[in-house]
Amino acid sequence: MRKAATLIAGYLKHNLMSAIEYRSAFLLQVFGMALNNVIYLFFWWVLFARWPDIRGWTMPMVATVFGLVAVAFGVANGVFGNCLRIASVVVSGDLDYYLALPADPLLHVLVSRTYVSAWGDLISGLGIYLLLVPGSMARLPLFVLYAGIGALIFLGFAVAVGSLVFFVDQSQDIAAYLYNALISFSLYPIDVFPLLVRLLLYTLVPAAMIGTLPARLLFEFRWTRLAAMVGFAALILLVARVLFLRGLRRYESGNRVTVRG
Amino acid sequence: MRKYLAVLWTDARQQTAYRGEFLLRGVMIAMFMFIFVWLWRSLYAIGGQAEISGFRLSQVIWYLAMAETVILSGSRIFEEISAAVKSGDLAYTLVRPYSYLGFEMAHSLGGSLPRVALNFVMATAVVLPFVQCVETTVPGALGFLVLAAGGLVLDAAIAVLIGLGAFFIEEVQPLHWVYSKLLMSVGGMFLPLDMFPPWLQKISNWLPFGLIIYAPARTFVAFEAGFFLRALAGQALYLLALAGVLWSVWRWGRRRLVTHGG
Repeated sequence: MRKAATLIAGYLKHNLMSAIEYRSAFLLQVFGMALNNVIYLFFWWVLFARWPDIRGWTMPMVATVFGLVAVAFGVANGVFGNCLRIASVVVSGDLDYYLALPADPLLHVLVSRTYVSAWGDLISGLGIYLLLVPGSMARLPLFVLYAGIGALIFLGFAVAVGSLVFFVDQSQDIAAYLYNALISFSLYPIDVFPLLVRLLLYTLVPAAMIGTLPARLLFEFRWTRLAAMVGFAALILLVARVLFLRGLRRYESGNRVTVRG
Repeated sequence: MRKYLAVLWTDARQQTAYRGEFLLRGVMIAMFMFIFVWLWRSLYAIGGQAEISGFRLSQVIWYLAMAETVILSGSRIFEEISAAVKSGDLAYTLVRPYSYLGFEMAHSLGGSLPRVALNFVMATAVVLPFVQCVETTVPGALGFLVLAAGGLVLDAAIAVLIGLGAFFIEEVQPLHWVYSKLLMSVGGMFLPLDMFPPWLQKISNWLPFGLIIYAPARTFVAFEAGFFLRALAGQALYLLALAGVLWSVWRWGRRRLVTHGG
């Protein structure tokens, strides 16, 4: 556990320093993404100007969901920047490099890159929550906790669908569509969808576990909801790890020779 | 002109070479339409109104289907241009017997053409079972084709301009993020401009983004000859202006190109 924490912290520092080395590119990506996210809220602003209440959802509620999803995505992709690239790392043969080293290969793959614009998601998510949600400061520690659990769910989902590539040829596109589905559905009020879809969004494509459920927890705390969220995060991380390790047994090296600095 | 049409045709065929992969791309529009159908059904149910800003529910859904058809067929040519500028590969193209800008425009539009067809079919397949009618007329459908084509040319020109931005800044992706969100918001992808507050509607009508998304989608569901002609004229004017800007940026950028041999 301590080794893992040292690996994560070491790579985080290294990745951030190398990203900041190209300062203007770093700032452009971070603030570009933040601006991008703010413009996205425009849609909801126009809708809520007409319909102040959409099946119990209000602007502060949607801003909370948006903030939670953006921070969860930001943490997952900022710290574990390869989580959306598992399939391409496997297909390109880049996995060989990690297998030859003593660190845990899955964790090592995940932390060896940062997704620069994800830091923009993190900043804008936090900013949107603090600025648009009344009483947000008082609930900030809980917001951070729920976004952190959401990041673990996102990470587990990304690793699980990325690991499908070990079992299904050319499944990179399917994995990409599943990530997109997770993100797209997580940003909408779940109550507008029919029951079957809602069920799907709490389980197989757990968009509600990242957006709706933690947002409801923030406004109305219930231990059962928190337990469901924590339990789901643990389960999906376990499934992701088992899928990756089982897949690893089927992995054949591409004999790729690369030089890494 | 023939060589650019050849480039366009080659790119269009290339898109469909891997059929499975190509068809899978339609999943995105199906997913977005599914979300929008349920969201807008809720909004109309809450208000209890048959019409909102002149749109019936079925019209809004068809409007969004056409808006998504155009936006998801848009250009990502800026990625290739910016990579070529950064790597210096752009230097090879300077000696070739074609205009670089014309080539990239044709290359981009060739990629968009099959995607428009696929997205249209997929959006229709999702929307039709829900609304059980087609909200268009013959002039509306033809007008949509003309304005969607104009919109995609405008979009390709803006994407090329963003790509050329790599002459001046290290990373052009953020410019495209902002551009795509402007298309979604003031371009009318999320909802028709008619539903905006009047002051924002006025501003949006002057911007080019609505000419790419709103104009074709609205023409599909509610054809008006005057609106169609105004939109067509707007597209032509913006294209003319963009052509001038592109040419100036290209000339200016070329002077900044540094090659390192190899």
